[in-house]
Formats: sequence, structure tokens, C-alpha cells
Amino acid sequence: MSYEKDFLEKIYKDLLETRMLEEKLVEIYAEGKVPGHIHSGVGQEASYVGVLATRKPGDYFKIGHRVIAATCVLGNPLDTFFGEILAKKTGNAGGRGGVNHTGRLCDGILGMSGTLGCDAGISVGAAMTIEAEGRDNVSYFFVGDGASNRGPVYEAMILAADWKLPVVFVCIDNGFGISTPSSYSSPKDTILAARADGFGMPSVVVDGTDPLAVYEGATKMVEYTRAGNGPSVIECKCYRWRGHFEGDQCAYRDASVTEKNIAERDCVKNFEQLLMEQGIKTAEDIARQRAEFDQAMNESIARSEAAPEMTPEEIYDYLYV
Amino acid sequence: MKVTYGKAIGDALKEEMRRDSKVLIYGEDIAEFGNIFGLTRGMLEEFGPKRVRNTPITETAIIGSAIGAAETGLRPCVELMYSDFTTVCFAEIFHCVAKWRYMHGPEYKLPLVIRNASGSSNGAGSEHSNCVESLFMHAPGLTIVTPSCAYDAKGLLKSAIRSDNPVLFCEPKLLYQSKQEIPDDIYNSDYTIPLGVADVKRQGTDVTLVAIGLMVPRALEAAEKLAAEGISVEVVDPRTIAPLDKDTIFNSIRKTHRAAIVEESNKTSGIGAEFAAMFQEELYDELDGPITRIAALDVPMPYNIPMEHYSIPSVDSICKAIRAMF
Repeated sequence: MSYEKDFLEKIYKDLLETRMLEEKLVEIYAEGKVPGHIHSGVGQEASYVGVLATRKPGDYFKIGHRVIAATCVLGNPLDTFFGEILAKKTGNAGGRGGVNHTGRLCDGILGMSGTLGCDAGISVGAAMTIEAEGRDNVSYFFVGDGASNRGPVYEAMILAADWKLPVVFVCIDNGFGISTPSSYSSPKDTILAARADGFGMPSVVVDGTDPLAVYEGATKMVEYTRAGNGPSVIECKCYRWRGHFEGDQCAYRDASVTEKNIAERDCVKNFEQLLMEQGIKTAEDIARQRAEFDQAMNESIARSEAAPEMTPEEIYDYLYV
Repeated sequence: MKVTYGKAIGDALKEEMRRDSKVLIYGEDIAEFGNIFGLTRGMLEEFGPKRVRNTPITETAIIGSAIGAAETGLRPCVELMYSDFTTVCFAEIFHCVAKWRYMHGPEYKLPLVIRNASGSSNGAGSEHSNCVESLFMHAPGLTIVTPSCAYDAKGLLKSAIRSDNPVLFCEPKLLYQSKQEIPDDIYNSDYTIPLGVADVKRQGTDVTLVAIGLMVPRALEAAEKLAAEGISVEVVDPRTIAPLDKDTIFNSIRKTHRAAIVEESNKTSGIGAEFAAMFQEELYDELDGPITRIAALDVPMPYNIPMEHYSIPSVDSICKAIRAMF
């Protein structure tokens, strides 16, 4: 496929900013600024960015616990993002939710459950609204290889299939559910893709570190679902560069495999190479773009650190309307 | 007119669906079959298959989809058939439904209702006879409602559907066939009963008996008997168990200076345990004696019907427990 320059630049912007945000989360966690845990999505950005490039206004999104920076691709402002992660009043829930719960409903973000997989049905419910309102939108459900083993995911898939609802189930197989390899949990090479047929859903399996390969595969499924044919499955194969959470030393896996993935399957570096080869970006353009976004992040973090925290008087707020 | 509790539930659903096109119902066997107790019969024909929907046996997806539908603009009133089945989607209710708005912020309103048929029903056995209110009282963010009569059931269900908070709506199934005389004009008046407001079902002066669900009619019968013996019992029905209308209950205890709680679920960690702790913490100086808990025995509900009846409070056992307070 050939792409317009603007499209490639947009993919790059999303890819780069997602990478830089995920790296920044690791950095501010190491500095002791984050009250909770960081599940770094570094290395997996292309899976999200490629799938999300198929979206249109009015779509809904259930993002996973890894690559939470994808919420910013969808419109979550940096101050809301960092505000929630640093547990400040400027966060979307004023610091009540935290790292797994950042995002805004006005951007189509449905929220997520820290009990991974429990939120699968939520994507189905959003698709019911789409159907009731007669829109040609879709509801994206992102899930990892680990939570893909859970029952609620399959209950959601069968309900979406029975009711022929516009849900796109996106499995991001980064190789590990905490320490358990996805090859251990799945009897086949693929996970949701291998099981999709049982639900009457078409599926694609893509290289989750190549944003254009993800986009092309995802486009087939999203177009199918958007046209009213029912739910579909996208499975993105990528690799989790870091531990399950920061501090995880990954003693359970072969470090040389990790090093090889980082060296050869770096979606940002590879995409930058492509853009430079095509004459769309120069090394200087890239350096400038990185510096500008780094400054924007640092300024947002500074504002967030200075922002007030909720008080005991506010602890019951948002519990009942 | 004589109205059964079951009819009142069905009428509340129909009236709300006629009033607001965003209201829909779904669950297992509620469409063609009309719910296993017949409560939703005829609704598929009136409202069509998109608003009266059968689900496969997928409780986690029923609850999950209710969240997704509610936060994006619909007003789902879903059914879990037996209350016991809340346990197979416990995480979805406990973590997601109850906490969603708190965790994600004020934009994320959940106008949804989870209906469930609760309690004993003559031989339904250990896994189809539970009352689950006390399990979910541990989940701030949930509104828990258990009506005790047809009039309340209709008015409370309508309020639950109109509420922007998620409501767990428990219907004691032994009450489905119970009849209540309600004047036609009142029944058909689109009345509602506010959530979070208790009701004094019988005035009394000697003891406050807080009764829940199926135990309300038994408490009233017990109060009648005890009145003949010279004990004046005030029966208070919280109707909404969480958040609780403390004012009405506390005012009653300030008047009678004695308190008892009767419920259909197990005594240990039951509703009565929480209420008794609350009363002694907040009303210690008003109490003239220990608080009495009347509840089911701490056993799985026996299948044997005489033993089932033995294990939950009866009019006689309520009378006995109240007499022992004097």
C-alpha cells in the first residue's frame, strides 16, 4: 500500500509521543513521583497506533493496562494524563483512579478494570449504544495475551457475536502474562485469532511492531465490523521490552531474546528509518520533534506536580451522583 | 385493585420503557420465555427484540455490557435471574459497577439496574436461595434496594431505572405472588418512591424491628401477635439498604430505645451484623438493652423444605426473639 505523507507523519507523531510518554512514565516512576505501579508499554506502541489509525469520530475504546499513553493518542490531555498518574486533582478522577484509569469519556475512552478482562463486556455495551443509535461506529476492546485467558473475554465475545455487534477485539500478544509466556497459555501459535473462528469472527494476525502492517490488517477487520457484519479479531504480535511492572528483573526469561527484540523490532526507530529513506523526515526534523514533545511533557509534569491533591473533605466525591 | 409483587415489577418495567426509549431490558430467558417467573411476558411483543433481549448464559458480559451501555447513553435494566448468580459476576459488580465512576471521574455515570430474584423459594436448594445484599454492602458506590410489597416494588424500580447511580435491585421471590390492595388511581399514577428513604410500616413504642424484604410481612404479622401480648413493635423497612436512611431508623430507636433486625440471609456478617454495630456505635445512649439479630442459621440453605423453613426466621421465631428482649 502507498500512503500520503500526512498519514505517515500522523502515524509517526502518535508512535513517537506514545513511546516518549511510556519512557517518561518509567523515568518519573524511578524518581519516586508515581504512587502506584507502572506497567511499561515501551516497544508495543505500534500495535496500538496502527489499530487506532483506523478509528473515526464516535468510536469507543477500552484501552489495556499497558500502553496507557494510547489514551493521549485519543485526545487525553497531557495534564489530565499526568494529573491522574501523579494522583492530583487535575487528573480525570482527581487521583482516585490512578494509572489504569486515565482517560476521558468525551474522547470515547470507556475506562478499564484493573481486574484485567472484567471490562470485556463494557466494549459490548458501548456497541449496543452504537447499534441503538444507528451509527457506523465500532467499539475497540484491547486485551493482552494474559487476560485473553479469562472467561469474561469469551462471554463478551459470544454476546457480541450473538447480537452481531460492532466490537473489534484486539489481542496484543507481547509474549508474557507477568512471567508466564503466552506460548505456555496458548496451545496454538495465536491466541484470540485461533479462537475467533469458534465465535464466527474473522481474524488477522499482524506484526505488532510494524505500524503499517498493523494498520493494514486492522483496516480489513474494522471495515468488516463497521459495515455491520459483526465483531472481528485482530491479534498483534509484539514483545514486552521491560518487566511486568517497574522493578521486575525478568529473571524468568532469556535476556538475549529481549536484546534481539529491542535491537531489531524497535517500531519507532524502524519507522524513523522509513521516513528518512522516503525523504519525509530528516534526522534534524526528528530531533526537533523529540525535543519539542519532551519539553511539552516536562512542562505538564511540572504543572501536575504543583497541582493540588484531593483533601479528606473530597474523599467521597464521585461515589454517588 | 389487587396487585401482585411480580406484576408490579413487570408494570414498572413497561411504564419506564414506554416513557424513555433509552431504557432496555436484557438477561437470560426474558424475551420469548418472559422470565422464569413470567414477569416480562408480553414485553418482547410490545417493545421488540432490540429492547427486550435474551442473552446466552454470560453473566459477566451481561453486567459488563450494562456498564458500557449505561456510560454511553442507554439505561439498561438487566436481569441475573437468581440472586445467587451475582457471585459468578462478582468482580464485574464489585469492582466495575460499584467503583467505575469513582475510579474514572464524574463523566462516567452508570444509570443501570441489576435485577435479581433473591431468597428462599421452597426447595430451590443452596445455590438458588441466597440473599446477597450483605455481600454487596461492602461495595461503596452501589445502591442496594429490596422492596417488601407490590406498591414499593413498583415505585422503587421506577426510581432505580431513573437513577444515574447503579442499583442492585433484589426481589424476594417468595413475594412475587403476594397480593396487595392498591387503589387503581394510585397504582396507575406514575408514582415513584425515592431511593434512600425508609418506611415505617407499623407504628409502635416498645421496640424498633428493622425488617428486610420477605421478613417485612412476617415482622408485621409478628407485631400483630405481640400487640395482643402487650408488646408494641414498630416495624421499619429500610427499602434501600445502601445508602441507608439512618434518620428514619434512628428516630424510631430514639423513641422505642430497643432495636432488633430481622433478615432472611445468614446471621454471620449479615445485614443485622452491620446495623447492630452501627446502632451501638451511634445510638449507645439511646439503647435500653442489647440489640437482637434475627436471621437465617449459618448453614447452606437445605433442600429439605421443613429444614429450609426452620433455617430462616418465621413469625413464631420473630415473636420469640422479641419477647426475649423484655
